[in-house]
Formats: sequence, structure tokens, C-alpha cells
Amino acid sequence: MKPIRILGIGSPSGDDQAGWLTVDALLGTGVQARDRVIIDKLDRPGASLTTQMEDAAWLILIDAMQAGGDVGRIRHFGQQDWMQYGQGLSSHGFGVLDALALACALGSLPPRIDLYGIEIASADPGLPPDNRVREAAQRLARHLAAELEQAAPSH
Amino acid sequence: MSDERRSVAIHVPVLARVEGEGALDLRIDDGDISELRLRIFEPPRFFEKFLEGRHYAEIPDMVARICGICPVAYQVTAAQALEQLFGVELSPWARAMRRVFYCGEWIQSHSLHIHLLAAPDFFGCNNAIELAKIAPDEVRRGLRIQALGNALMDLFGARSVHPVGVRIGGFHGAPSLSRIQDMRDRLRDALPEAEALIRWAATIPMPQDDQAFVSVALRHPGDYAIERGGIAASDGLLIEAHDFDAHFAERHEPHSTALFSSYRGQPYLVGPLARLNLNHDRLPERIQALLAESGLALPSRNLFHSLVARAVEILLALQEALRLLEHYRLPDSPWVPVTPRAGIATGCTEAPRGLLWHRYEMDSDGCVVNARIVPPTSQNQARIEEDLRLSLLNFGLDHADEALRLHCEKVIRNYDPCISCATHFLRLNVER
Repeated sequence: MKPIRILGIGSPSGDDQAGWLTVDALLGTGVQARDRVIIDKLDRPGASLTTQMEDAAWLILIDAMQAGGDVGRIRHFGQQDWMQYGQGLSSHGFGVLDALALACALGSLPPRIDLYGIEIASADPGLPPDNRVREAAQRLARHLAAELEQAAPSH
Repeated sequence: MSDERRSVAIHVPVLARVEGEGALDLRIDDGDISELRLRIFEPPRFFEKFLEGRHYAEIPDMVARICGICPVAYQVTAAQALEQLFGVELSPWARAMRRVFYCGEWIQSHSLHIHLLAAPDFFGCNNAIELAKIAPDEVRRGLRIQALGNALMDLFGARSVHPVGVRIGGFHGAPSLSRIQDMRDRLRDALPEAEALIRWAATIPMPQDDQAFVSVALRHPGDYAIERGGIAASDGLLIEAHDFDAHFAERHEPHSTALFSSYRGQPYLVGPLARLNLNHDRLPERIQALLAESGLALPSRNLFHSLVARAVEILLALQEALRLLEHYRLPDSPWVPVTPRAGIATGCTEAPRGLLWHRYEMDSDGCVVNARIVPPTSQNQARIEEDLRLSLLNFGLDHADEALRLHCEKVIRNYDPCISCATHFLRLNVER
């Protein structure tokens, strides 16, 4: 049976750790003990994200975003939100949406994909994440743990 | 075709599918190129200034931040320069693993460039996403090879983006035997894929574009030069890294934050095709046979053969990494102690995009007094402009503007310019 893959995307720079913090909080709930749940932190994966999502039944991606909202806001994006995306400007700018668009073109998208963005203030090297980002990561982890429990109850 | 000699101005405000930000201005007056400028306007990055006053132990991690695609090249070049100045003799283990680490970078960078940046041009695609629709198996294969390169970098660098494994005197740690065993299996599995990649690359129709240019690359008596060797040119030059300034010069041009380099006053080529032109006799027999089968005659004067050259170097890097890991043993220590000394340190290696040269003046405490870094893209910049001129004349200036623009972009992307690496501090003149 194909796994559920949960990927926290980020870098060590300040609030850009939002995806990693969520994954850490999720690991604290014990969901990784379930069968078929694979949880990873990825450091600026670029195009290699495309290969990381292969063979998953359900893909959950968590990344930092800057969309002009309040810091700590969580947004969920469905497939309809990014299916038409296809900039492909450069490998320096090869982000999550490029990787999803490339996987889509290759026919290797998992059947279910949930993309979560956590609104951040700044991604400054050497600075710790903002408390509002930490709280959002905890909130999102609780939400994901509940979703996983609902989709595949542990008892 | 009309006999009318037309005038046209083409501006490509942002070059797509290159590393960093640049632009191109082309002006044709009465059927002749009157202006052609590859503008690099990415902001200056002051890296050499940042290094001043820093302790030698910090240098490998700092220079790794110069580029997200080729950090290993910067780390290994800096380490080579400083180790030579400090009189450090690397252990045979560390020397071999530096080359393996570097192979990882060649594999990931070359595969990324072939499949995501360059190949779409030759299939009439705007980007890799379009290419993936018509050549999905090839793109998948490219992504697998790239991921393997990243994994090799991660093995010795703890991560593939801005790795932190190198220290002056060797490495901070040594990978376990089980991780090396797993890597050997993956490398072995990738060999047929890389051979298939060469065959595929050789069948991609390339423009015929014969140009005369000087190739410059490292050359080593035994190896296909990657992390060591003297600086060689196709006109017979062979010098040590410390003699670089006697033969090569850098200059500012007002339209670029990258410096322009010249050799004996002329542009020159660095990168995979320059390496292949100079060092194809150093390739293992199996790869030489594949090259012969592909029909690529060397030395090549067609820059579009750079794509095949990258494919060849991927196979070479896979073979080299496998060879050097075949009898892997855990070392007593992955590094040797270092005692700094004052003086001038120079180092030179082959980054994926070509020759990378570093020079550091160090004080007796082991701190940087000043630093100079000459990356491959700034060495290629004058050659790119020269190539654009010649290539456009070969292509024909009477083509529609869109066709001219696409051709120019294709020529530029072919060099895999890393604009972020090449941007330097620009001199500031203030008049009052």
C-alpha cells in the first residue's frame, strides 16, 4: 500500500523554518508510529521535490509563505489553486509550485495533495522564528494529526 | 529573403532559465550588429569583502554561500588554497573523498542544467514542464540522476544546499560504511542511465555553429581534472594557479556587475566543453568509446556541444565516485591538524561551469587580509558576448525578432551562466 508522505519544507533562516517546526510538532504527536506515514524535513529541495513525492497515496506539504497576511495565518491550497502554475524561470527560483507543476506534467502527482502555507514575517539567517510562526506550526500540527486520525483511525 | 537591410532593437529584460538575473540588449542597424550587451544587473554581493578578517576555519562555510548550485566548488577551492599555504598534506582518504564530494556536485548541476534549463530550447519548449510532457522518461531520468548527485553531496556535506562538511585539513566527519554501501549501489544502478543520457543527448539536433576560441581548463597528468591540476589552454599554456594573474586579466564593464576576463587580451571559454576539448584523452576507455559512438569529434568548435559534454561528465563523475568508494574504509581521523601561516594562498578547481580561481592573503593568525575570487561565469562573459555576435551572424540577422531573441537566449543558456556567482563589487566613482 502506498504511503502518506508529509514534507516540511524550509531552511535554517528565521521564519523559513515554519514547515520544519510543523513537522517537529507533528512528530511530537506520535503520528509517525502509524503504518505508511512518512515524515521528512526538506531543506530547499528545488526540483528534487518532484522525485520525493513519487509513489505517495497522499502528499501533505507545509511551507512558509509571504502573501501579505497576518504573520501566523495558515492557508490551505487545493490542486485548483496551482494547477495552471508554470513559471520555470530558473533553478534559483525553482520552488514548490514548479515542482508540483513538473510532477503534474510527468503524471506522477499523488492522488491526494494538501499544500499548507504559514504566513511568515522574514527569513533572516541567524534569527530564531517568530513566536506567531511557532504557534501556527503547533496549530497546524494538531490539525494534521486530527486529519490523519480521521482518515485512518489508529484504533 | 528580402535584400532590405533592416534596423531592429531587441531587449530581453530578464533572461529565463539561467542562475540569477541578467538581461540582453541587441541593436541591429542597417543589417549589422551595432550594440550587443549581456547585462548582469544582479546586485553586487561583496563576498570578498565579507571574508576579510575572518578566520581560516570559517572560510569553507562562508564561501559555500556564494552559490546554491556549486557550493562544493567554492569550498574545495578555498580549502585547496589554504592547505597549500599552510603546508597541509591531506590524508589519501580525504584527498579521494574531496573528489567524490565534487563528483556529486557535477552530477547534480549538470543534470539540472541539461534537463531543466538547456534541453527545452532544443525541443521548442518554453520550460522543463513543457519538455516533461513530450519526453517524460528522459526528464524523470534526469531528475533521478540529479537527486543522486544531491545525495552524494549530502553524504559528505550533511546537506546538499550550502553543505558544511569540508574543513581545512579534510572533512568534519566520515560517512558510515553502511551509507557508503548504499551509495555504491545507487551509483552502480545509475551507470546505464547515464550511458543512455549520453546517447539521448547526442541525438538532439544542435545548430551547426563553427567558431574559433581558446579553451581553458585544469589539466592533470593522470586524472580528468576536477579538483586538482595545472591551468591549461588550447594554445599550449600550462601554468600553476599562482601564475593566473600573469596570463589572465579582469576588467569592469559599465553594463555588468560581473567582471569580464581575458586571456592574452582575448575572450576564452571555460566549462564542460573546454574541459572535454583539453582532457578527452583522460577519459576512461568506456566513455571514450561512447563518445566515438556518438559521433562527437573533439576538439569541438561548436558551443552547442556543451550539452553532450555535460552528459559525458555526468557518466565520468558517477564512475569516478564509484571507483573511489569501492574500497572505502573509515579513516582514523577525517582531518589532519592545521597550523596557519602568513602568506598568499591560491587555488583552482573545475566548478561545474568551469575554472574557479581563489586567492587569499592571510596573516599569521590565520585571518584573511584580502580575498579575490574569479568564478567561471565572469570568465565566460566576454566569450558569451563574442559567441552571440558570431552565432547571430551565422544564424542570420534577417530572422524575425522573436526568432533572434530565442536564438540569443539559447546561446546564453548553453553556457549555464551562474550570474549570482559572478556578481562582484563594482568600483564607485563619486564626482562632486
